Amino acid sequence: MKKIAIIGNGVGGLITSSKLAKDLAKEIKSGEVSIMLFDKKTEQEFQPGNLDVAFRGTDPSKMRRPVEKLVYDGVKIIHDNCEKVDLPNRYLKTEGNDEKIDFDYIIISTGSSPDYDQIPGLRDANMDFHTNAYTSSLIYQKILKIKSGRIVVGIGGLPYKCPPSPNESAFMLDEHFRKAGIRDKVEITYITPFTRIYSADSINEVIEPIYKARSIESITAFNTDSVDATKKEITSLEGETIKYDYLFLTPPHKPADFLKNSGFSDEDGWVKTDKRNLHITDYDYGFAIGDTTNIPISKAGVEAHLEGIVVANNIISEIQGTGKRYKFTGRTQCSMETGFHKATFVVGTYDTPVQKIPPSTFNYMEKKVMEKIYWESLHGQYEWLFKYHFKKDYFED
Amino acid sequence: MRTMNVDSRGTACPGPITDLIRAYKKAENGDIIVLIANDPGAVPDSKAWCEQTKNVFVGSKDMEDYFEITIQVAGKRL
Ligand SMILES: Cc1cc2nc3c(=O)[nH]c(=O)nc-3n(C[C@H](O)[C@H](O)[C@H](O)COP(=O)(O)OP(=O)(O)OC[C@H]3O[C@@H](n4cnc5c(N)ncnc54)[C@H](O)[C@@H]3O)c2cc1C
Repeated sequence: MKKIAIIGNGVGGLITSSKLAKDLAKEIKSGEVSIMLFDKKTEQEFQPGNLDVAFRGTDPSKMRRPVEKLVYDGVKIIHDNCEKVDLPNRYLKTEGNDEKIDFDYIIISTGSSPDYDQIPGLRDANMDFHTNAYTSSLIYQKILKIKSGRIVVGIGGLPYKCPPSPNESAFMLDEHFRKAGIRDKVEITYITPFTRIYSADSINEVIEPIYKARSIESITAFNTDSVDATKKEITSLEGETIKYDYLFLTPPHKPADFLKNSGFSDEDGWVKTDKRNLHITDYDYGFAIGDTTNIPISKAGVEAHLEGIVVANNIISEIQGTGKRYKFTGRTQCSMETGFHKATFVVGTYDTPVQKIPPSTFNYMEKKVMEKIYWESLHGQYEWLFKYHFKKDYFED
Repeated sequence: MRTMNVDSRGTACPGPITDLIRAYKKAENGDIIVLIANDPGAVPDSKAWCEQTKNVFVGSKDMEDYFEITIQVAGKRL
């Protein structure tokens, strides 16, 4: 029997397990293949929805689904976290358990989470709209109480997931205070360690004029070092300080703790992954997808999804002996809401630079459609649509 | 003083600058960061970043398949 272990039941883990279970249904039924999905989490969140919860007061319970409802038939769910992966000897261990669980293939898709330890003081000072829907709903209640003052938003440190989200927070706060009729009493300042408001020049050209038109100030090349919640002051690595009344920084992110010093990750714990075949270093039976890889592209759900499809296809083809090989194209597609029902997209691949896409209501609609089909898409129900939408970027074969 | 080598080959904007900033966070004044990248945008971006953060752009070399960018860390507060 071929045992496939998937670590993490988020975007990457779910779509990979669904694709495998669907295409290997016959082999699973006959006992030739088993799929195990490891994660302590019993509920998943639609993470992009945190923005609507924090800035528009959307009900956070709408953003959650029980994992059991998202998993394809034939996948065995194990609600334990993984604490060790031994790639050369092909076994893993779950937290607090000495039993060695063997695998023939392993897919690590353990995502990323905020790393507040990188920036002393940030945890206490920050209105974290980014990390979880229930915290975001508390942030919304706090935003309703803001009547004047200086808001500082932006990038707290690198890397972080969803590159456009700090910009979206600036636009959505601007929209909120305009609608409340108090925008003139609230100053919004965007800070970033990059030299432009958006790191990719083409998108920067699109959004810089909107920052000007909406009177959102920007401070570039600001490397946040620490935050003093009592003085309400942020200090940069270079010693500059910025005062704030309300702080909305996107925190830097880290990979799952067990990956540090695993023997197959970099010094920060990001898994060393081939950017096209998604193998972990030289192991052709070990794969990493999504936020946890060290692949230098956006940490975003679209990547996790497309990478999951590539990995699943390669495992299916090996098990079924078709000899086909697939590669990830590096396709990104992150939506960036610019406020007032408009959005742009950050779209590129390894071989095509990020395009300049003006914000439009049509783009916003496309983003909303994605929200509607999100949960079913993790179940693999919309692959026909993604294949049609991404065309040659869906995968390379 | 130490030299930190950062290999950003195969990554396009904002890969090299992200890698540079992450290395800078761990560096001290006086350290040298050698960034290698094959994205031509990495050279002007690193130059602009050095100007804005008061670090020293020592120079860049075109090595045919990639650029080697040398930066001296000088901008950090003491
Ligand atoms: C505010 C916000 C807005 C966003 N907007 C967009 C957007 O518009 N478009 C887009 O494409 N992406 C967006 N994203 C990013 C997207 O949600 C993530 O990039 C995506 O979820 C990554 O998928 P993943 O599978 O790598 O990780 P996740 O979906 O985060 O899943 C990782 C899973 O691994 C589990 N795990 C961790 N450690 C262990 C362990 N030791 N053992 C077992 N399991 C473990 C976790 O519990 C988690 O369930 C946004 C994110 C945020 C926060």
